[in-house]
Amino acid sequence: MLRSKRKSKSPYARPNAHPALRALNPATTATQTQAGPSRPTQAAVQFVSTQPQNQEHQLPVDDPTTSEQTAVPLPSIAPSIPLSTSGPNTTVWIIAIYTPFYIALYTLKLCMLKETLHTTSILFGLDVQFFSRKQTPMAADEDADVFEITDFTTASDWERYVARLEEVLHEWKLVNSNPLPPAPRGSLSTGKWHEKKESISFADFSFLVTYKYLERDDIQKSGEESRPSPDDESEEKESSEEALPTVMADMMSLDNDFPSKSHCLSRWFGLQEFVVITPSQSSAAIESESRIKILLSSVSIALNNTGSPVPVFIQIQQYWRQMFSGACVLPGSSIDFDVIHLKTAPPQYSHLSGLLDVFKAKMATQVMPRPTVMVAVRFTYILTEWHNSTWPQEPPDFSSPMEDEVGCSDFGNLPFGASEDPVSEMQLACTWPSLSEDMIVENQNYSDLDPMQAPQWAVRIIMTEDPNCLLGKYLSEFLKISHRKETVEDLLWNLLSKEDDDQTGDISQALQKLTEPKVAKMYNIPSLSNVVHSASSRLAIKPGQAPINGDTLTTLLEFLFPDAKPVSEKTDKDESETESDKPSTKYSSIIEDLSKHLKSAPDDSLLHNLVTALVMVNMHHGGIRGVAQLWQEFVLEMRYRWENKFLISGINPGSPNLGTCLLYQKLQMLNCCIERKIKREQLYKGYTGQSLEEQKDSDSEEAVSSQLTTSDSEPCAASEEEQSKESGSSGTTATVSKESTDRLQQSRKEQQKQTSRKEKEGIPAKRPHLDSSSDDDDEFFECEDEDKEKDEEEENEEDGEEEEEEDNEEDEEMEVETIKAKETTTPEGEEVSMEVSGTSSSSYMDSITHKPEGRLAKSGDLKLLNSEEPLYIPITQDPSPMTEDMLEEHAEVLARLGTSSEGAQLRARMQSACLVSDMESFKAANPGCTIEDFVRWYSPRDWIEEDESTKENPIGHLSTRMQIPGNIWSEAWQSAKPVPARRQKRLFDDTKEAEKVLHFLSAMKPADVVVHLLPLLLHSSIVNIISNEDSDVPKVKEMIEHLISKSSMVTRTPHQHVRRYEDLVKLITLTETLIARATSLKAKFPSSLVESSSGKEEVEKFISDLLHINEVPINGGPTGPVGNMIHKLFVAAQRDLHMVMDDEENKEETSSNTVPDFPRPSAREYILRTAAPRPAPYSKSLPHKMTCSIIEGHEFRLAGAFASDTIFQ
Amino acid sequence: MGDTEVLTTLKILIIGESSVGKSSLLLRFTDDTFDPEQAATIGVDFKVKTLQVDGNRAKLAIWDTAGQERFRTLTPSYYRGAQGAILVYDVTNRASFQKLDVWLNELETFSTKHDLIKMLVGNKIDQENREVSKEDGLKFARKHHMLFIEASAKTREGVQCAFEELVEKIIQTPGLWETSNRGVDISQGGQAASACQGYCAVI
Repeated sequence: MLRSKRKSKSPYARPNAHPALRALNPATTATQTQAGPSRPTQAAVQFVSTQPQNQEHQLPVDDPTTSEQTAVPLPSIAPSIPLSTSGPNTTVWIIAIYTPFYIALYTLKLCMLKETLHTTSILFGLDVQFFSRKQTPMAADEDADVFEITDFTTASDWERYVARLEEVLHEWKLVNSNPLPPAPRGSLSTGKWHEKKESISFADFSFLVTYKYLERDDIQKSGEESRPSPDDESEEKESSEEALPTVMADMMSLDNDFPSKSHCLSRWFGLQEFVVITPSQSSAAIESESRIKILLSSVSIALNNTGSPVPVFIQIQQYWRQMFSGACVLPGSSIDFDVIHLKTAPPQYSHLSGLLDVFKAKMATQVMPRPTVMVAVRFTYILTEWHNSTWPQEPPDFSSPMEDEVGCSDFGNLPFGASEDPVSEMQLACTWPSLSEDMIVENQNYSDLDPMQAPQWAVRIIMTEDPNCLLGKYLSEFLKISHRKETVEDLLWNLLSKEDDDQTGDISQALQKLTEPKVAKMYNIPSLSNVVHSASSRLAIKPGQAPINGDTLTTLLEFLFPDAKPVSEKTDKDESETESDKPSTKYSSIIEDLSKHLKSAPDDSLLHNLVTALVMVNMHHGGIRGVAQLWQEFVLEMRYRWENKFLISGINPGSPNLGTCLLYQKLQMLNCCIERKIKREQLYKGYTGQSLEEQKDSDSEEAVSSQLTTSDSEPCAASEEEQSKESGSSGTTATVSKESTDRLQQSRKEQQKQTSRKEKEGIPAKRPHLDSSSDDDDEFFECEDEDKEKDEEEENEEDGEEEEEEDNEEDEEMEVETIKAKETTTPEGEEVSMEVSGTSSSSYMDSITHKPEGRLAKSGDLKLLNSEEPLYIPITQDPSPMTEDMLEEHAEVLARLGTSSEGAQLRARMQSACLVSDMESFKAANPGCTIEDFVRWYSPRDWIEEDESTKENPIGHLSTRMQIPGNIWSEAWQSAKPVPARRQKRLFDDTKEAEKVLHFLSAMKPADVVVHLLPLLLHSSIVNIISNEDSDVPKVKEMIEHLISKSSMVTRTPHQHVRRYEDLVKLITLTETLIARATSLKAKFPSSLVESSSGKEEVEKFISDLLHINEVPINGGPTGPVGNMIHKLFVAAQRDLHMVMDDEENKEETSSNTVPDFPRPSAREYILRTAAPRPAPYSKSLPHKMTCSIIEGHEFRLAGAFASDTIFQ
Repeated sequence: MGDTEVLTTLKILIIGESSVGKSSLLLRFTDDTFDPEQAATIGVDFKVKTLQVDGNRAKLAIWDTAGQERFRTLTPSYYRGAQGAILVYDVTNRASFQKLDVWLNELETFSTKHDLIKMLVGNKIDQENREVSKEDGLKFARKHHMLFIEASAKTREGVQCAFEELVEKIIQTPGLWETSNRGVDISQGGQAASACQGYCAVI
């Protein structure tokens, strides 16, 4: 079906017993006469190629009525070689190919096909061209009744191969296309190349056919039209006939002579589209001459049959040699492409005059006068010795941490920059774009081609593949940890296990051993902290065995926790820090915004320091084990701070900021816990300050309540505090390796003193209160009524009883206390609880009788409904701070309750703790209040005032929804007892939450630590990049912006993937390399070499261009400021070189004593082109082109494209 | 329709002053019921409904919040990750309208998605004693780039439409939501042509 479809346009025809054939095309008259003698018989088989232009003249092939059947053949073109007719039943196909290095004549018999015999002779003659010859159909004067069969069957492998090739050309719509204008200047290297691939096979040998073409934006639309289907109107065809075919236009275009980067075929021939056929296995190179010829023949047949004007190449010889042989068939002409590749240049051809001889010889035109050859030349000079700059300009600091001579700053700054010179060489290309062969002389003895005279200069920089960028290296090493599975214990096991039998003679340690376990057992027997303690105590190891030794660890910890440093040192440090930490002005706004963009942590937070320290430790102090050790120390420090009530420095106060990373939120949470703990204790101190007796009282009271509720309350916690304070300095800190912590402890004690002094002075820690502006710490003191103790006692017990019913999760830490308390106060407690249970049904009653407490402020001038008392806003408990994961968990729990009404009910109940707490506080503050009063404060819109209501005498009622019997509000109100916030069950259990955080921290594997720190790592790296970036290269700025936006996205995705970070690290490395290159280039092209200010600007632009443009043309060539500078660089390099090797110079350069400014060109390229009639003097004048490239000591290559007229020959 | 896969799950918030009818709106939308004695919400409540918009099925997780000021320490925690927010006011209560600024501010502060779609709903239009005109509502919505509609949970007027419009807008906003790794072609053309005949105004 395919074949029949193609019948009309490209018959692959075998007209049998053709009655009469006569070509209508005048061009074929010559052919006919020639072909006349060889009359085929009925069995004659021909390859008929019909060219589109001729189609209209053509009679239908299968029209039996016409006596004159035309199939316009490819006009035959072999004037010098007579057509040999090898038999009556054969069509002779002659191919003459000239190859300069294989002058031989073969005749090859090939292809015994199905019923008919084809003989293909392949001749390698002296003729300059390769052409395909079809036996011309001839007029047969046989009987008219012989019918005609058009046979398109493809029987042999070869036929199938050719047919498939044609098919592919059709599929890609490469047939009958209109010529494109030549590619715009420079587009071969800058434009976008596309390719289409198809695999075809010749017998069992498979080939890959690739069509490569340049995307033409400029003629996108017209391009569509310019490739019309063959059915298009003839008008278009006519117009297209006038235009030069794409191939020729490209060949002759001067715009793309030396593309900086492109496929070699387009470089040599200037092509914007071509097809390459390569063996699909690289090992199967086509080496034998005959195979090459068969393939070329096939290509010619296919091109002739399809009428495709696209050049087709066959890759021959080994791949690396980049040898191609190709053909292109155009209406009325054809072009042969051939490549010569040698390792060294033959001396007679290694200069222009020799090459011109080759070119002219190959062209073999007999016209006189000989057409002038136009020459384009490019010489490339390489500079590798940079006279004025050595690398590294400033050796990166990474040696110092290795030697343990660390200042804190070494851990605080990530390294940056390349450790090798990222720029390896500069290539200067001097181009003479268009010269006439008569204008210049270059031969063995003399050359006109002085680089200083070249009109065009361009520079190309060869970068070092991997300049070993420090930041990128450090980061990727750090990221590798994220794939490790070991836990901290796994990594430090040998350190841990050794400890058990390690009895050092250290007295202080012995004492610790005595005290510590006891203390631990006193108050937290099975708790997690105990476990961690015992684990951590084993971390006190022989310093020699740890990945990080004692001194370094001390430095590290002091760096992480500067507040724990001795005061005297601290001040020095602070000064130096403020000096050094000035951000670069240009990007300061970006740095400020960075913490908003990234979900990491505010600048200069503890975690930033931690992550940089970990990165450094990973590189220089034991890798992952060092990381594990430092992390362990960090966790211990966190625990120490929690137990000893030091706020964690470098963490913003307040509840966890959900815009930061989880780890930071956790630390904020821990800080919140510590804060609350301090506050609780402060409160307790307030009590103790009153009198010993009272203290005793309240102690026992609290003990009762804690016994009943088994919840923890202030005194317990406080006593725990005291214990830990006593033991803290000896017990808990024994966990931190002593050497490093001795100093820290000392300074901590000092600090502790300071804080306690502050507390005594009544300076409360600043913390936000969501409800009111007043400071609640003060309020707590204020509302302590001296005579309330008795009431308190009662209520407390009620409270306790009440809470017992709820019976919440027990706090194990309180167990000891509880047991103690039980012994002393159990009888009293029972008594009270019985008493309370009697009164609980009439809770309204006692709420009137109690004394008000826990008042915050009057609520405007509202008065209670049932009395003249003003309505007081109570002091309430702060809402629980929550980290992102807690919130998620909580929301999930709520969501899991489902959407049924029961679920909703349950949800409401779960969340009513806060409401109940507020109600209790309200009741405590407003004795004798009613639910209406509460609603007026809490949900004013549910209190509906009636018209006659006045301020003095408010009349109104609750909204209907509040009046529904059994609604959760009134239920809660019923159950709420008047208890001030201070004595309520804590809504926020700081002990539990702190332990949770500490557990979270200590349970992390080093890999988890890395993953959690990644956002901070990114943040620090970006800041680092920005502060190291001082070049005004737009490309760098672009990269940084891209990096930030990408990081922002990655850090915000809910699930952190290491892979995404790995990509980002690659991006960071890229940016770093770019900056390193810019720095290197700046050093190599110092603006000091340029005098004028405009020149300086130009140099800057030049450097910026070098970073992202492959080949940078130099403004003004050798005379411009940049060119001038480059010249100086070469001169300096040459002088350096020749000073060393004076003798050699004398040998080589006998003619001159002076050192040449430039070295010998490393590469020389010549493009020779001309237009000349070929093959015969009366042929059409056609373009010819030869590209020669001579790379010194590496290769010599000629790539020629020679066109020949296929009509007049 | 029931078998078509859910395109995405969207989180939608309902916020506004107490007793403006947030829970009633939600109940009307999800269960098509109305309870004049709807209890005051404590903390947050939660309902789920799948909705077909433009041929895409979206599962809505709608978080209903308590309006009382005291709960405001609690509820914003749940604003995280919401793609849409419905701000409700009571057309019969000027104060509930005037407080909208506070709620918008709250939303700015606590929502993690900065391009979340906001919709303003004036509720209780079935009642006689209107204090906030539709023009006021429109003006406010225009000023703050919100969708606007008036509705009544009691008569169900505008309720369905409000949710549909919001979801449609969310789905049309690129980058606001994530599919379960399926590329979905969203037709931008038929923006106004939904099943809704209400007063939705895209401002």
